[in-house]
Amino acid sequence: MTSSTPPPPLSRRGFLQFGGLGAGALLGASALGGCTSNTASTAVASATGDAWRQFAGTTINFISENTAPTAAIAADLRPFFELTGITVNVVSLELQALVQRVALDLAGGQSQYDVIYADPYQVLAPYSAGLADLRELNAGSSLPSLEQGFADFIPTQLKATGQFGAGGEIFALPYDAPTMIWQYRADIFDKYGDRMASDLGFDPTPGSDRTWEEYWRIADWINKYVNEIPFGTGQQAKQHDSLMCDFSNVLWSYGGDYFENGQDVGLYGTREPGPCLLRQPEAVEAAQFYNRLVSIAHPGSRGWDWDGVANALRAGQIAMTPNWHENAASNEMAQPGRIDYAPLPRGPKRSANIFGGTGIAISGNSTGARRGAAWLFANWATSPKTQLSNLKSRVGGGTPTRESVYDLAEVEKAAHRPSKLPNMLTTAAVTTAWEPEYIGLRPKIPMWNECDTALFTELSRMLAGQQSPESAMNAAADKIDKIVARGWVA
Amino acid sequence: MSTTELTRTQPVTTQPRSAARSRWRLTFNGALLAPGVILLGVLSIVPLVTLIVMSFSRVHLLGGIRLEWAGLDNWTRALTDPDLWQSWALTLLYFVATLGIEMVLGLAIAILLSKVVRGQGPLMVLILLPMFAAPAIVGLVGRYLTDPTFGLYAWFMQQVGFSQDILGNPVSAFVAVTLMDVWEWTPLIVLISLAGLSSVNPSIIEAASLDGANQWRMLRHIILPSITNILLVALLIRSMDAVRYFDIITVTTNGGPADATKIVPLRLYEAGFRFFDLGYAAVIGLMMLVLTIVIARLFVRLLTGKGQRP
Repeated sequence: MTSSTPPPPLSRRGFLQFGGLGAGALLGASALGGCTSNTASTAVASATGDAWRQFAGTTINFISENTAPTAAIAADLRPFFELTGITVNVVSLELQALVQRVALDLAGGQSQYDVIYADPYQVLAPYSAGLADLRELNAGSSLPSLEQGFADFIPTQLKATGQFGAGGEIFALPYDAPTMIWQYRADIFDKYGDRMASDLGFDPTPGSDRTWEEYWRIADWINKYVNEIPFGTGQQAKQHDSLMCDFSNVLWSYGGDYFENGQDVGLYGTREPGPCLLRQPEAVEAAQFYNRLVSIAHPGSRGWDWDGVANALRAGQIAMTPNWHENAASNEMAQPGRIDYAPLPRGPKRSANIFGGTGIAISGNSTGARRGAAWLFANWATSPKTQLSNLKSRVGGGTPTRESVYDLAEVEKAAHRPSKLPNMLTTAAVTTAWEPEYIGLRPKIPMWNECDTALFTELSRMLAGQQSPESAMNAAADKIDKIVARGWVA
Repeated sequence: MSTTELTRTQPVTTQPRSAARSRWRLTFNGALLAPGVILLGVLSIVPLVTLIVMSFSRVHLLGGIRLEWAGLDNWTRALTDPDLWQSWALTLLYFVATLGIEMVLGLAIAILLSKVVRGQGPLMVLILLPMFAAPAIVGLVGRYLTDPTFGLYAWFMQQVGFSQDILGNPVSAFVAVTLMDVWEWTPLIVLISLAGLSSVNPSIIEAASLDGANQWRMLRHIILPSITNILLVALLIRSMDAVRYFDIITVTTNGGPADATKIVPLRLYEAGFRFFDLGYAAVIGLMMLVLTIVIARLFVRLLTGKGQRP
């Protein structure tokens, strides 16, 4: 899917300023679009003297996954065009297709895509060498720097989505922040809470005080005693990336991890993570629990990814599920006032909520006016004002990645019903989930995609009854060790 | 040596040279064909050679494509990878299942359709419809029909006691994706078979009927032998497609559950475009190419054999 702003109109003021020559240059820039030369934009810049308008007439390409924040931005690019005179073509794709295009674009060295939706595990880690260090652009004297600087981004998100390696470079600005939290039918808990508490012997109210074992018992109880909803829980256990995400929440909460210093490997990333830890007893225990959990979950769970469980929750097929918090707006439309949110349950060690956020980066091959224009766009797209307007977007929008946006009165107010910004109903849950002791970060290593596939394939075999949890963890660890030993090639 | 002998021997020495020259001379037809043949050669041979070179290399993408010699690493890995061999076994099973069902079902429908006197046109349109849908759409439709919450087929299966998710169980998922392909491509066999059936000489059938042959004997001894070549062409076309089956599985199960539907094309895609391990992907691609050539040669030989039979 591609969308773009309309070609820049020639203003009366601009025409009078430039006279015939300036107008000719502007018209030429309009007509040539992506072929706009540095000379043309420099001419405009020097004439206007406005840092935001110095690349007017330039056209850049932004490639993104088809996510809610990009849908919101693509739906309303006019403010950016009015501010800068830059035309942005938004290419919106499914993540896998995006990764392919970015890899081939970086290989070709042509910079067809100036601004890149840089998934930390599939783009940032493997291709960080092909991305620009945004600190240099932020510090550039001729370019507008970030409003409130890098420090305004939520710290764990900036590290997880923006950095790779120990060099301190910032390759991407936090752009979206989906995080898995406990999503549940509050009306069911309200109606049956007392009976559940009496039967189960604990307060079933969802929150990080609950344990995964209690989650299992609540789900089982709903299966047996609640008629309004067929199943207590739904899991995203399809042989897919979603299965790794769903399992990771349990793994970390049981004290298991993929590699030594997992939190650092998740925050900063590395090319040599060391031996895989999935053979350890904590990981095996987590796998045993997950196997048990899926066995009482909705039978559709084995074929569902995150969209599947989201649809099931909205359709009243399940009473609760761990899922990305950015589903809140759609949940509120389908089941107004009935779905609530909490951090995920804890295991023997902690509550872990997997973070799936992504940043936007600038291609290292993008040069001249296009590089400058790309910075302006990345700066604008992650600015507090744009994030607030995305929140209000009719086409969805994500949730902010800047702390200052959460401090705004209207955003704080929207965290409670009735809310005009339904994604904000998750604020309490996600702000807890983003704290260092609650956040779950998968390893940021270049070969993660292949390791991820090895893990979810073995888990899928376990769920199909073809192997025990212990064998699944051992097989996954063996494969991951081999993949890591081979190293990253591309 | 006499003069007569010389003159007699001259043509003997010059004949082979001129024959050789005429063999290598570009004829008018050859000249017309040459640009196309050269283009085809460049388009086929250059990628093939590149693929072979890649299969012995580690392929680096960043900063421009760069090949680093890896010797037999990729080949050794492929030949000793149990997951890849499992995919080959699945591919074979899928190949036999889809082609078998499609051929039997397609021929049966074609024979029934050939007996229809009135309304054959509208019936034909209805039967051919699935073939015109893009495979990805067929996958999406299949996914909805087998969805455990609202899928029609899932509901039917639940009524007969199968309460699991059709695409979440290894056996049922494999059967489901196989049947989706059968649903889409059986019409092609119907179409081809029907064309073959229309070419069977009616007087032979009439004669056999007068001689007291029943329907089964006529099918076995007259109709099938008459349309064998056409059926082989249909089989050849479908088998080439079956080796490359990808879209429907990607949309429905993505190779799962438990790798139960991960046939070789999916593994090739995964190695090439998810892991960017292009050297290893080249090996899988070459293995697929060899299989395709073997299948094509087999069918062409069968066809040629049939054609030569008196």
